[in-house]
Amino acid sequence: MSFEAPHIEYATLSPLLIVFGVALVGVLVEAFVPRRLRYLVQSVLALVGLVAALAATIWVATDLTVRGDGAARGSIVAEGAIAVDGPSVFVWGTLLLLSLISVLLFAERHLDGGLSAFAGQAAALPGTEAERQASTRGLEHTEVYPLMMFAVAGMMLFPASNDLLTMFVALEILSLPLYLLCGLARRRRLLSQEAALKYFMLGAFSSGFFLYGVALVYGFSGSTHLAAIAEAVNGRIGGQGLLLGGIALIAVGMLFKVGAAPFHSWTPDVYQGAPTAVTAFMAACTKIAAFGALLRLFYVAFGSAERDWTPMIWIVAILTMAVGSVFALSQTDIKRMLAYSSVAHAGFLLVGFVGLHEGGEGISSLQSVLFYLVTYGFMTVGAFAVVTLVRDAGGEANHLARWAGLGKESPLVAGIFAFFLLAMAGIPLTSGFTGKWAVFSSAAQGGAWPLVVIAVLLSVVAAFFYLRVIVLMYFSDPVGDAPAVAVPSILTTVTIAIGLAATVVLGILPGPVLDLAADAGAFIR
Amino acid sequence: MSATTMVRAADDLSAFGGDSVWVVLLKALLIFVVLVLLTLFNIWWERRVVARMQHRIGPNMHGPFGLLQSLADGVKLALKEDITPKAADKVVFVLAPVIAVIPAFVAWAVIPLGPEVRIPFTDTVTPLQLTDMPVAVLFVLAVASVGIYGIVLGGWSSGSTYSLLGGLRSSAQMISYEVAMGLALVAVFLYAGSMSTSEIVEAQKDVWYGFILVPSFVIYVIAMVGETNRAPFDLPEAEGELVGGFHTEYSSLKFALFFLAEYVNMGTVAALATTLFLGGWHAPWPISIWDGANEGYWPVLWFFGKVLCFIFFFIWLRGTLPRLRYDQFMAFGWKVLIPSSLAWIVAVATVRAATLDGGIDRRYMLYAIAAVAVLMIGLFLIGGGEKEEEPAEAEPEPFDAFAGGYPVPPMPGQAPASHPTSTMSTTSPGSSPESRQES
Amino acid sequence: MELYTPVIALAAIAAGFAVFSIVMSVATGPRRYNRAKLDSYECGIEPTPQPIGGGRVPVKYFITAMLFIVFDIEIIFLYPWAVAFDAMGIFGLVEMVLFIATVAIAYVYVWRRGGLEWD
Repeated sequence: MSFEAPHIEYATLSPLLIVFGVALVGVLVEAFVPRRLRYLVQSVLALVGLVAALAATIWVATDLTVRGDGAARGSIVAEGAIAVDGPSVFVWGTLLLLSLISVLLFAERHLDGGLSAFAGQAAALPGTEAERQASTRGLEHTEVYPLMMFAVAGMMLFPASNDLLTMFVALEILSLPLYLLCGLARRRRLLSQEAALKYFMLGAFSSGFFLYGVALVYGFSGSTHLAAIAEAVNGRIGGQGLLLGGIALIAVGMLFKVGAAPFHSWTPDVYQGAPTAVTAFMAACTKIAAFGALLRLFYVAFGSAERDWTPMIWIVAILTMAVGSVFALSQTDIKRMLAYSSVAHAGFLLVGFVGLHEGGEGISSLQSVLFYLVTYGFMTVGAFAVVTLVRDAGGEANHLARWAGLGKESPLVAGIFAFFLLAMAGIPLTSGFTGKWAVFSSAAQGGAWPLVVIAVLLSVVAAFFYLRVIVLMYFSDPVGDAPAVAVPSILTTVTIAIGLAATVVLGILPGPVLDLAADAGAFIR
Repeated sequence: MSATTMVRAADDLSAFGGDSVWVVLLKALLIFVVLVLLTLFNIWWERRVVARMQHRIGPNMHGPFGLLQSLADGVKLALKEDITPKAADKVVFVLAPVIAVIPAFVAWAVIPLGPEVRIPFTDTVTPLQLTDMPVAVLFVLAVASVGIYGIVLGGWSSGSTYSLLGGLRSSAQMISYEVAMGLALVAVFLYAGSMSTSEIVEAQKDVWYGFILVPSFVIYVIAMVGETNRAPFDLPEAEGELVGGFHTEYSSLKFALFFLAEYVNMGTVAALATTLFLGGWHAPWPISIWDGANEGYWPVLWFFGKVLCFIFFFIWLRGTLPRLRYDQFMAFGWKVLIPSSLAWIVAVATVRAATLDGGIDRRYMLYAIAAVAVLMIGLFLIGGGEKEEEPAEAEPEPFDAFAGGYPVPPMPGQAPASHPTSTMSTTSPGSSPESRQES
Repeated sequence: MELYTPVIALAAIAAGFAVFSIVMSVATGPRRYNRAKLDSYECGIEPTPQPIGGGRVPVKYFITAMLFIVFDIEIIFLYPWAVAFDAMGIFGLVEMVLFIATVAIAYVYVWRRGGLEWD
């Protein structure tokens, strides 16, 4: 029996390993640290871990080896399982920054009478004596921090995986904690648990699709390595049916995570039911991770089969934009509306993705999508952070009617929210505009101009429902007693400030981040 | 042991798979007959031995020494009415005993009863083992866990509270102890370098693993008693609490099939213990000096001798020990057996790695072992000393010996009344585990 | 495959015996109808009405089942590792210790949070 010990590049993988390690330490903290100290220890641990991982990411980013013609940088590590290249590192950095400000939202305890937004005792049935006791004793689940760290680790691994099986493992690592986190809301627990169950059911189902697709692609190419698959696709060896079936099934799994129509139906329910901090984290980071993986998979592995999958993505993109924009119009719940808005954003991202513009003149598709993800991430976290502030006796006041007249009640909060909405609509001088511009121009240069025309038209439709909320906040009178705007602690304030700052800066000065995205170069194979 | 003997060739199973259909059928039939006879013998033996331990005589009427007693019991059961309760799920109810019995027999397919022998009056040479495979022990574990379905489904389908509880208990118990059992085997595979039963027996030619892997052996023996639902771990059929547990509603030969399955399973775990830890069919020491001891049909004798020793051990336990309480039983499995097996695996692997070529410096290894040991002991003290903090914050309720007007015994953790005449006891806060404050 | 086929022979004999016994007991046993006899046995009292499908099972059992799966998968990883241990040497040891430690962290958490307590 001969055995070659595998070689693991620990230094290059250090950002991943730090996040995983912190998550494990978090579990130990849960086990051994007394209850009253846990909140402090866990939140500080999560923050420190994320900052350390971010530092490690920057160190790795400056140290990437240039490959071949210089178009791509990075290296394939861990026996071909993980590709640490420019796009990976870019996505890591974005994810870690957004996770950092999401942790601040998680740690907010100022809004609900000194209690966090998470259930006191998740195992207690809603509406029972046990639940009441848990909340009077001031219990809270500090497990959310390790869970979140596991999710972040999975999200970092997902777009960096260079092997379909690693990708599947990463998908599960990022999904399972999120399912749990969705069910941990302190208020409206039945809704929250319903959301968690729906997300779990549909998520498990989509994972099944993904895995079946992996099996078919393996049947086609005889390997799960992206490079080997690319070679097989290029040479068209093996059964064509297997490849097409595999691509379609994998796409179903991926598009589910992205939240693209017709696989978007979980989005509104889950975004509405989950604790708002989790919604913010999930909406921003899952989409980034899933798009990173989608890009890598389709550009690297299935790049040569583009004729086969672009028509499908065209249809999905149009459908997604249409569903997101049109259905958002009829929503009466602010979180559901933002959920449909995120579906629409997934559609715009798919436009950029399917443009397939290699670069040369203008910005490449990869670069534009990465840039859009950054802008989208910050404004989403910011917007959801504002949603946590508008409250009444029953917790957050999410019904749109409760937002009427907010402009008079609290001009600052209404103004910030209006700004986020304008950014999402893509009004110039916000990051939303520069993001859309980048995505549409690269798609147009890639020859997908009919799609771009449709996308521009649909973004006008989308602008309408964003403006509706602004009109509601400023030009109508409050119904009944107006909801109070809670005064947040420094944590949520910082989150909103960072989101706001990023949205403004990226709207006025997109250059540096665009350069950074361009600097990331192409995927390595 | 020198390093050269360590690296072994891939499993050599060339002796297997070449038998003709007739030989296979003959061996399968022989195994079946031997198992049925072994069961009949074991039941009689158990009754006789337990009787002796209790100063009784035991069955002595039917046949010499009452040997035919179990056969008579079987015939009697066949003549009893076969009842299917009206609350039962008919199909599953009938299927459950079948599901319990088949795996019990099938597990014996890979147990080596002896070396290669010549079948009398023919020239055919064949191993005294139905078949072997590279994952034979895993096969036994897999098949044994199918048998659990029989018990669980039997309990579930009876439509009775006692049966359901018995079935649930037994599934929880069996899966809990299966983990410990599975972990106990890792050290054996580590030393044998194979999972095939014949290879493992072959590897014990010089020294039995039961002597060098004592902790594994002890853990396995404890777990095997738990796996077979035998006293003191016979909670699924605890007659004091659950009437008959999962087979409360079974009668006639369906009941007999469950009974058969339980006794064959006893034989199976005993045979596996023999194979993995006591050198299988190899002759024990004083006899092994004789060259012919490990040849021909003699090994079958040594093998069954060892199996019967284990069976005697089972009976002895039953005659000696009272049944465990369920929480103690589960706590023992999860909090003692599993962590100690994991620690033992790490220790064995470390020692093994150190003896390999280019291994670790012994000195560092000793430091490492010391560190791990300290860590483990520390975890035990912390983990075992403090319970979950939820009850810690609630005041322990003072024990009321006449709660509700009836005399009641104290719950676990409640201190009994210090003064027998007072109804309100004075609990000492330091003594009950719930009252310990988190440090 | 040759190695696995003999198993079928033994399984067939065992199955034949089991089915034969069950059919036999119908033929050899008496049948005396009695309504009370067909009720669930509860020591003579009126049987507790059973919810359809067995009703709810205490959540403890599910926790045990999940823990079992975790550890069973750990065992499945340990077996091939143990068989190939001599070839892997120090590398195999270090990696498996890391793996066991990771599972142990989850185990310690479950223990401390009362997941292993039965009442």
